[in-house]
Amino acid sequence: MSKTILGIYDLTEASFLSGASLTLIDGPLELGWRHSGLTSDFIADAMALPFSASKTLHADIHHSIGYLSNELIENAVKFRQPGKIMIEACVIAGVFLMRVSNDIDIETSQRFQDILTKILAADPSELLIGQIEANAASDATGSGLGLLTLLADYDARMSWEFEPLAGDRIKLTTTASLTLPLASNG
Amino acid sequence: MEIRYENFRIWTEDETVFFDGVLRLAGPEAYAPIYSLALAALHENNERVIFDLTGLEFLNSSGINLLAKLTIEARTLAVVRLVVKGTARYPWQSKSLPNLKKLYPQLDLQLA
Repeated sequence: MSKTILGIYDLTEASFLSGASLTLIDGPLELGWRHSGLTSDFIADAMALPFSASKTLHADIHHSIGYLSNELIENAVKFRQPGKIMIEACVIAGVFLMRVSNDIDIETSQRFQDILTKILAADPSELLIGQIEANAASDATGSGLGLLTLLADYDARMSWEFEPLAGDRIKLTTTASLTLPLASNG
Repeated sequence: MEIRYENFRIWTEDETVFFDGVLRLAGPEAYAPIYSLALAALHENNERVIFDLTGLEFLNSSGINLLAKLTIEARTLAVVRLVVKGTARYPWQSKSLPNLKKLYPQLDLQLA
């Protein structure tokens, strides 16, 4: 089985050589839900630091980076197979870039690819409202609602790579970019 | 009624449900107690219910889903006028709260 790429292909080639690189490893850390909030707070604090001269601008950038980071790391924590979560982040030319890699099982991979195919074929704002209605009726989770908020409310650009590994595992690499609102007059 | 955790607090005063702090719980099960508290407010007040989010610094997408479910519940009840008070101080509110009005156009969204 070969690698499957969905979303914006160019993002898969983005370089993260000048930024932050973090690896969360299973074991004594007892990797769990609360690491997503802690880690996304750290990424937002670190990446928004150069913008602290303007309070309004800083708050906006800090929030957008924090929200995107939290959603991507929550997904990694929620759907991963045991093993590490690799996180890279940087800001280049007014664009925040983030990449998260972790292993998932084949069923999760297939379900996620089906959701993404549906998301990428539609208008995210319309699909977001439709998905909210569907979730309210069924109490379902794992519907891609978090990704839809990123695409519809934050104008995030995203790509997903599914790479088959040995032992029925798939390496999922998600890359996202956000154009930072540098024109704000805060 | 009050639900308090280390970084958030949700409580009711008369017809108002206050949401304060940073809310990023893991999903519908984790949000169930908060859903029940706000749902009770919708069912117990016959005229108007206010969700005051002006102290809610951060809400993850599972929490946004919770607000959407409550909005749909208010739409179903129809007799209750739902007011959502927010603030532009926390950027997520200007980005995501207008979606609630798309779900329920009669909702009174006040973003100060």
